[in-house]
Formats: sequence, structure tokens, C-alpha cells
Amino acid sequence: MITASQKPINEIAELVEPYKKVLILGCGTCVKTCFAGGEDEVAVLASVLRLKFKKMARSIEIEELTIERQCENEFIQEASSGVDRNDAILSLACGAGVQAMAKRFAKKVVLPGVNTSFIGIQESPGIFTEECSGCGNCGLATFGGICPVTRCSKKLLNGPCGGSQKGLCEIDPDTPCAWHLIIERLTTLGQLDNLKTYIPPKNWNTSLSGGPRKLIREDHII
Amino acid sequence: MKIHNKPKLTLFHCLNSFKETASMFDGCEVKTVKMACSSMTKDVHLLRAFESGADAVLVLVCREKACRYAEGSIRAEKRVNYVKTILDDIGMDGKRLNIFNTSSKDSGSINDIIKKTLLELEIIGPNPALNHFN
Ligand code: SF4
Ligand code: SF4
Repeated sequence: MITASQKPINEIAELVEPYKKVLILGCGTCVKTCFAGGEDEVAVLASVLRLKFKKMARSIEIEELTIERQCENEFIQEASSGVDRNDAILSLACGAGVQAMAKRFAKKVVLPGVNTSFIGIQESPGIFTEECSGCGNCGLATFGGICPVTRCSKKLLNGPCGGSQKGLCEIDPDTPCAWHLIIERLTTLGQLDNLKTYIPPKNWNTSLSGGPRKLIREDHII
Repeated sequence: MKIHNKPKLTLFHCLNSFKETASMFDGCEVKTVKMACSSMTKDVHLLRAFESGADAVLVLVCREKACRYAEGSIRAEKRVNYVKTILDDIGMDGKRLNIFNTSSKDSGSINDIIKKTLLELEIIGPNPALNHFN
């Protein structure tokens, strides 16, 4: 999932202040799972903004809506009447959702209500960890399913740096050493020989470093 | 700041933590919200209580070890603390929201909590998002 966290309330309040009618638009997929932008967060944010603006003796009309996904036109469609009724949209979707809304409603102001962070998982209730950097050339088969590109602080591809202690990374002792985990897992899988494969310096052209990327599936284009 | 009209309190409580007695709410208007379990304490409900006019919101839950659903009181406390920070952020003063461990058998301590809350309200004043005080 794509993780995000809500922007500080006062930053959000400043963003919406110029508008009289604001639609807070949640997204029911990734940002809901990480408690940043699902319908519960929409309801809380709406209530907080109403209180804040009342305290400032300012009037603002807030409409609440959550759609299944803001990154797909099919679902965005469901928001169109709400979008029409309001002066601005405060989107609690990830950056892709915000931009998809802006593309779809060219004349409407679309504001981001969350800071989009990383591709990750919910490791345990309330704790989310980064797992993939979307490098565009996945090597997980060699690394026993644990990504050193993302989870090793030094992005080492040919074994550990040697500084880990008790399985924890020397850069950040709150983080497990990715290479410690890789070696443990390759041992379990009986694939420790994978370590003998030399991994050449990574070609970052397939990552964002090569510029904005586009995925084309010719068979789906009519 | 002196409060002129009767302060309004909203009191969320789980079934086992609170039982109303006759003189408990002298000097204030109280709305009680019964919850089957303290884990039903939700941020949005606490905030909406303030939107609906509460000057202070109290959440009464059982002691951690006495909670029949094991984690209800812990969850409630975390959510209350979260909303307190939001109230501070928007200048509403998190002190107007509090959680207490109580038992329905101990009406004395609940009386004290209400008295303490009314005294606190004399200092921090009414709900600043509303102007129902003259
Ligand atoms: S190797 Fe690349 S694509 Fe695979 S998990 Fe790591 S960052 Fe993601
Ligand atoms: S301790 Fe492990 S995770 Fe940290 S930099 Fe070294 S190899 Fe990478």
C-alpha cells in the first residue's frame, strides 16, 4: 500500500481558509488502511475544521465524502456532484489521487490534506514500514524476498556492511539490518549460494532517477 | 474568565464505570452517553460533543485491570489523548477533555471529578467555538 499521514491541522486550515465551501474527499483504499484519509479521518477532520473556524468566528461549509479510490476515473466519477457544489476539494488521497482529481476537474482547486510517504505494509497494528522503493527492476528473487534497495540504509547489494549489531542496523538501531534478515531467510530457504552472485552497480534509469515513468500496456489501449 | 450560565458537560461512560445519582449534576447541564464498552470511545464522537455545545467532555472508564474487554480502557485513553492534542492544536485547550478510571459503585469519586471539572472550567472558560454564554 501507499502510506501517508495527515498534514498538521493548522496547515490544512490555512489551505482551505480562502474557500467558503469545501469538500473533504477521502479515499477508501491505501490511505484508509494507514488511518490518514478514509471515511473516519474525513469525519474527524471535518469536525476539527468546523470547530477551528467557529472559534475564529469564520463560516465555512464542509461536505464529507469518501470514494473507493481517487486514482481511478471510474470511482472519481462518483464525486462529481460533490465537486460541483463546492469551491475547493481537500483530498485525503495520496499524491496520485490528488493529481487524478486535479486532472479530472480541470477548473476546480484540489488541495492535498496528507503527506504521501512510501510503499509499505502494516507491520503490526499502528506500525507501518517501508518495503519497496519502486526501483523498476526487482531483485527480490535473489535476496530471499527482502529488499536491500529499500531496507538497507546503505542500499548495499552484495552483502552486509559489517556494522550491524545483534541484527540491528548500525545507522539506526531501531531498524533491523536488512542483510541480517536476508541471510537468515536465504539460510532457511537453502539458497545461501545466492550470495555468490555478483550484483553489478544498479542501473537507476528504471527508477524515478531516470525521470517520470510511464507504464504502457499496448494490449489495453484501444 | 467567569462562566455565567450553567456549564455543559458531556459524559461518555462504559456500562460498568458510572451510575447517576440524584445530586451529581448540581450546577451544570450534563448529557450522558452510554457505551457498551470503553473501546467504543471514538475521536469523532468526542469532537462532535464539543460541536454540539459541550464546554467539557468527560470519559469514564473502568480501571485497566477491571475492564471486562481487556483493552477497552487502554484504547479509550489513547484516543482521548489524541483528541486532547488536536484540541490544543486548534486553540480549544485539551484540558477540557479528560478520561478517568471510575467504578459505578463509587459515586463519591465521580462527584469529585465533576466538581474538579467545573472548577477547571472557571479557569479555562466556556467552549471557545460556541457563544452560548452571555
Ligand atoms: S528491488 Fe526494487 S522493485 Fe523490488 S522491492 Fe526493492 S525497490 Fe521494490
Ligand atoms: S547494518 Fe545492515 S542494514 Fe544497516 S547499513 Fe549495514 S548492511 Fe545495511
